[in-house]
Amino acid sequence: MTTLSSHVSSRPIPNPKNSLITKLNAGTGLIVGVVFAVATYNLLKGENEDPGIAYNIHNRALLAAMFMWSIGFLVGIGAFIGPWRWLIGKDLTAEEQLYLAGDGQGIKRYFKYCTDHKVVGIQYLWGVITLLGVGGAMAMMIRTNLAAPGGHFITASVYNSLVGLHGITMIIAMIIVATGPFGNYIMPIMIGAADMAFPRLNALSWWVLFTAIPVLCSAWFLGGIPTGWTAYAPLSIQAGPGMNAFIATIIIFAVSTAVAGSNITATVIAMRAKGMTWNRVPIFVIGATISVALAVPAFPTFMVSMIMTALDRTYMTGFFDANIGGSGWLYAHLFWIMGHPEVYVILIPGVAVLMEIVPVFVRMPLFSYIGAVVGFAGIAGLSILVWAHHMYMSGWMPMLNGPFMVTTEMISIPTGLIFLVMLGTLWHGKPWLKLPMLGVYAFLWNMLVGGITGIYLSDVPADNYLHGSMYVTAHFHYTLMGAALTGAVAGLAYWFPKMTGRMLNERAGYVSFWLIQIGFQVLYLGMFTAGAEGQPRRVVNYASQFATANRISTVGAYLVGTGFVVLLWAVVHSWRHGKIAPMNPWGAKSLEWTVPYPVPLVNFDTPPVVTSDPYGYGKAVK
Amino acid sequence: MSSDTKFHVHHDAPEVVGRRERLGVRILIVADASFVFAMVFSYFYLRNLNTNGGWIPKDGHTFSVASGWVVVLPLIVGAILHKIGQRNLKTIGTISIITLVVYLYGLYYQIHQIMNMPFIVKDTGGFEGAYASSWVLIAGANAFHYIIASFLALGLVIRARRANVDPTLEKWRMRTAASWFTWIAISGVICAITTGIM
Repeated sequence: MTTLSSHVSSRPIPNPKNSLITKLNAGTGLIVGVVFAVATYNLLKGENEDPGIAYNIHNRALLAAMFMWSIGFLVGIGAFIGPWRWLIGKDLTAEEQLYLAGDGQGIKRYFKYCTDHKVVGIQYLWGVITLLGVGGAMAMMIRTNLAAPGGHFITASVYNSLVGLHGITMIIAMIIVATGPFGNYIMPIMIGAADMAFPRLNALSWWVLFTAIPVLCSAWFLGGIPTGWTAYAPLSIQAGPGMNAFIATIIIFAVSTAVAGSNITATVIAMRAKGMTWNRVPIFVIGATISVALAVPAFPTFMVSMIMTALDRTYMTGFFDANIGGSGWLYAHLFWIMGHPEVYVILIPGVAVLMEIVPVFVRMPLFSYIGAVVGFAGIAGLSILVWAHHMYMSGWMPMLNGPFMVTTEMISIPTGLIFLVMLGTLWHGKPWLKLPMLGVYAFLWNMLVGGITGIYLSDVPADNYLHGSMYVTAHFHYTLMGAALTGAVAGLAYWFPKMTGRMLNERAGYVSFWLIQIGFQVLYLGMFTAGAEGQPRRVVNYASQFATANRISTVGAYLVGTGFVVLLWAVVHSWRHGKIAPMNPWGAKSLEWTVPYPVPLVNFDTPPVVTSDPYGYGKAVK
Repeated sequence: MSSDTKFHVHHDAPEVVGRRERLGVRILIVADASFVFAMVFSYFYLRNLNTNGGWIPKDGHTFSVASGWVVVLPLIVGAILHKIGQRNLKTIGTISIITLVVYLYGLYYQIHQIMNMPFIVKDTGGFEGAYASSWVLIAGANAFHYIIASFLALGLVIRARRANVDPTLEKWRMRTAASWFTWIAISGVICAITTGIM
């Protein structure tokens, strides 16, 4: 493979400074996006004597404005220049492509439509940090209000909105938490590729997602979302204008997910280095690919449910209106056909990060690579057959509760395999207890609790009692936050040297780790207690019998919050002042550690040839 | 592709780039197929549930089975024409124009159907029932497919007239476009069969 720089310098090429792409950035995107949105709203807003019809027209105008903001932003930042130039038969020149890759543009490239996967990875990282920060702040407000019965910290309607917005913000953040930063920055280097398969689509996936963030935030100013993040119909049909923001966010996010999923999958299939056979692909890459391959078919069903909700709200269709032949169950099906695979879209990459870390820090090969792959694939495959366990109590097809209980409980088998691989790798190893490795132990405990409590919820009689209680909230936080987020934070500590050229402040890292993990146990074990005693979730007030458990939970939440503030400080401080990192501080064997920092534009000066698997540290444990 | 851009960013062979692009499009087709599956699932779910007899209410309107197939016909013709054009590259310019016209006609007809659908309740402006709701969603998806197909066909028409495109890569891009054209024809047939079962 010839590097871009060598062939660019070998031929006369036009000056890209004359090209439109040099003049566009997030600022121009913002301007064009706002102009599009305001113009669309003013064009479509209309008046009608019937208040019901007037309200529908208002909803139409709002929704259209939100989509046009997204399209306008993308026009303004230059996302459509490539397709336009393709259309007119004047493809981007090599120099224009080099310019788009952000070569030599310093910090400015982070605010441009930059196609370099490393830039996109950093953009995703800060996007995730922002979303987690906003979602976390909302969680703190929720817990503050629940610190004592009759809490008056926030009003009931604000509380309602907070619960929904916290949920959807965190779900979006968690879906991209590992595949966004590491899937974009690290993964192409791990497989020995010069870039992603479709660099422009890569930038598109980030900037499309970016446009969803202000749309979601606008829900606050439009009366919030009173439905929780599940947005069940017909509640969502009757909800105020803030619901439009939710609908637009999901549809925009689904587009971003499809684009990113296609890009990551194609990259792994088509761009692996010579010699990187499937059994030599790092396990993180396998996990991330299975995750996005699961997301690609899962999210469109959520998108369809949101389009239906939008049509019911704006054009009075009857998908979910029982008066004219609709059904709320239809929404529940479409939502959970996406919703349960989505849990594993979140979980698998986080676990795969930890699996990448374990062999490095115990200096043992990954115990049963095949077992890990089968485990991930088994979880992904079964996850599409379990959605109706969320509907046991809805009254839909009680005769199918049994089969769905069986498929759900069968997920324990591949999950057990994942545990076995982790424990097998640790067995007889001498762990190097650095910050990334601590995440592995935290995961094993948290996932154990999250997994076992999940078995109770999959069991129809137990779910009859626990459904809709705080127990459920504690369970899914143990899996998503305790396992997936722990994996992502461990990944940040592990790959921080490669992404920033500096070591993450270890002392601050340890402090944050223990604050988060101790706080986490206090927070959610308290919540399990309250839930098992019968406290329903999503309520602004509760009976005094749950007071102690809730107070304990709130103390835990503040510990977790403090821990994340310390972690944020560590990240920001280390990025600017941290110890300069050597090229391979952990002595790892995968390809990303063979390139220096800053990583060259095309990653490798000469294309790597892979001759062994990345976990050849010693004898395999039998 | 212009002569300046024969040097792809990764400097990979056109065959490699072309194969990769086709793979990407096929993965996106999986996402679109899931979308179509969700619509078809919803259609039959609501039809079989027939909540409060509201699938097609008494005196409710429907489209004829034939009208569904009329909308789909340009999708099928377009896909076949493109296949023919692929086999004989000398005629691709002319065939691409015909394909484009066919897709534009299909798009026009689909939009015309949507604009003149008979099941809007005059007093409220709402829809008559769940059949009407499901029909409009499927029609919208067809229209979306036509828009993307028209964009691709227009690009192929313009590019076929430019002398400086890389013929090997262009050939691969036609194959990539063929993947999309074939899929939307299949999707159209699925949708026509679906809406034909009232």
